[in-house]
Amino acid sequence: MSTQQEQPQEPESQEAPEDPEMRGAESPQQERLKEKEQGLAQDEAVDESDVEGETVHLKVFRYDPEVEGKQEPRFDDFYVPFEKGMTVLDAVMYARDEFDSSLTFRHSCRQAVCGSDAFFVNGKQQLGCKTQISELKQPIRIEPLPHQEVVKDLVVDMDHFYDQMHAVEPYFQDEDTPDTADLEEQRQSPENREKIKMSSRCIWCAACMSSCNIAAGDNEYLGPAAINKAYKFAMDDREDDEIKEHRLRILEQEHGVWRCQTQFSCTEVCPKDIPLTEHIQELKREAVKKNLKFW
Amino acid sequence: MAERYSSFTRGGTNWFLQRVTAAFLIVVLAFHFFQLHFVNHAADVTFMGTQARMENVGYFLTMVLFLIAGTFHGVNGVYNALVNQGLEGTPKKVVLAVLVLAGIALIVQGIWVAVAMAGWT
Amino acid sequence: MSQSYNRGLIEDFGRWKEFSAGMWAWIFHKFTGWMLIGYLFTHIAVLSTAIGAASGDPALIPQGEDVYTQTIQGLESLFIIRVLEVGLLAVAVFHILNGLRLLMVDLGIGLTAQDKSFYASLVLTGIITVASVPTFMDGVAI
Repeated sequence: MSTQQEQPQEPESQEAPEDPEMRGAESPQQERLKEKEQGLAQDEAVDESDVEGETVHLKVFRYDPEVEGKQEPRFDDFYVPFEKGMTVLDAVMYARDEFDSSLTFRHSCRQAVCGSDAFFVNGKQQLGCKTQISELKQPIRIEPLPHQEVVKDLVVDMDHFYDQMHAVEPYFQDEDTPDTADLEEQRQSPENREKIKMSSRCIWCAACMSSCNIAAGDNEYLGPAAINKAYKFAMDDREDDEIKEHRLRILEQEHGVWRCQTQFSCTEVCPKDIPLTEHIQELKREAVKKNLKFW
Repeated sequence: MAERYSSFTRGGTNWFLQRVTAAFLIVVLAFHFFQLHFVNHAADVTFMGTQARMENVGYFLTMVLFLIAGTFHGVNGVYNALVNQGLEGTPKKVVLAVLVLAGIALIVQGIWVAVAMAGWT
Repeated sequence: MSQSYNRGLIEDFGRWKEFSAGMWAWIFHKFTGWMLIGYLFTHIAVLSTAIGAASGDPALIPQGEDVYTQTIQGLESLFIIRVLEVGLLAVAVFHILNGLRLLMVDLGIGLTAQDKSFYASLVLTGIITVASVPTFMDGVAI
């Protein structure tokens, strides 16, 4: 066939796009992030001076079914010399390297993109590599993520989390296989990209799921991460409406979006600042609107 | 888990109705409180006074709707709270049946009481 | 693999200081909800004396000697009932105000201030309850 490149479509006008977010107006999400940054900057100014040149006291949760003495969970104390810019992951790695090589925890990229090192630090779900020691009150309590079974020390069983993620079919789908003659790029408008941009940042760390009280009580609840993943695909214009309906049908089961009680804990702990509750709410509204049409 | 699903979206309808009854209840409950505690004192309630209010068809119907909305909102709320805490399987079906029956009984009894108050028995 | 350890619910009430606003809102809304549904059943039960009054001797009614009037006024003369009514007011007002907050969240309005609006509901509940105490406690002896 022809190998002619299709000319990129000229935008109809050179005016600014209508979406206020595209014009630089602040969305609620942006306002929230600005506040967060300002809050963090204040904390850093206060706490850094205290910790310089000292040791940091860590209390780390230990459990090992194969070792006597660790079959009942206990907390071990480590005193780690502080260096400027040290993260929880740095501290815990130092403890493992210098003090106790049996200390077990997951970690990989150390730059908040792999989602391996989510811990429960001083009572809040955080990524180890993203949390500064200087901002934490001592002794720093490091525990495995709540509401998940502990395999050893800080390692939790992630199978249930992965099951829920897979249950929403987190991959592109199409009803028909495209005709080879019609093969071309699937275009997405910048506005649509903006809409799903935040939802695409999920790194599968499970912090949100472990902060949700409903996920804790109801084992069948899909959870904020899975619903957010479904949001990313459902709101993507490149999928057909039929696929979107198929996705909504999964989400509007009894243990889908309706279990969310808008507790907001998920939004608070997400290390990638995804507005999870907002996305779940939007899907609830979508589901209701869709059903109202049948009346 | 999520593999079996039906297109009967009971979850969605109940969620929506919970919000609709909530909005209605906010107004009517506030009105009811005012009526029975501030406009009239609860200690001054008499059958005659009640009858005078309930004889008005509009007021009567509002009270009946109030009862139905309140019962639905409450029973649905309790059911969802229990499901959130992990109620599932057979106990869940049993609890749902009990709640629905209790709700219906409450509405029936309530309407009978309302009719008696209006003096229409 | 060796057996894994289930630590149970981490958010047990021993760690209440770590609870966030959204979590408190959820807990209180549930608690007040249970109180209110319990009250609704009790309320209809008490009001059922109206059936007895309506089917009883009609001469009693103008004098307020019927079972309905007697039951309600009898209850209202008890101090503890008045106290419980103030409690009922607090519970209902909180459930209404937090419910309004949840309706706003469901409509997507004011999501940035969701924790502030919870604290506002608490404060308003307190104010309204305290302001209503004189009216509620009027005419009863301790």
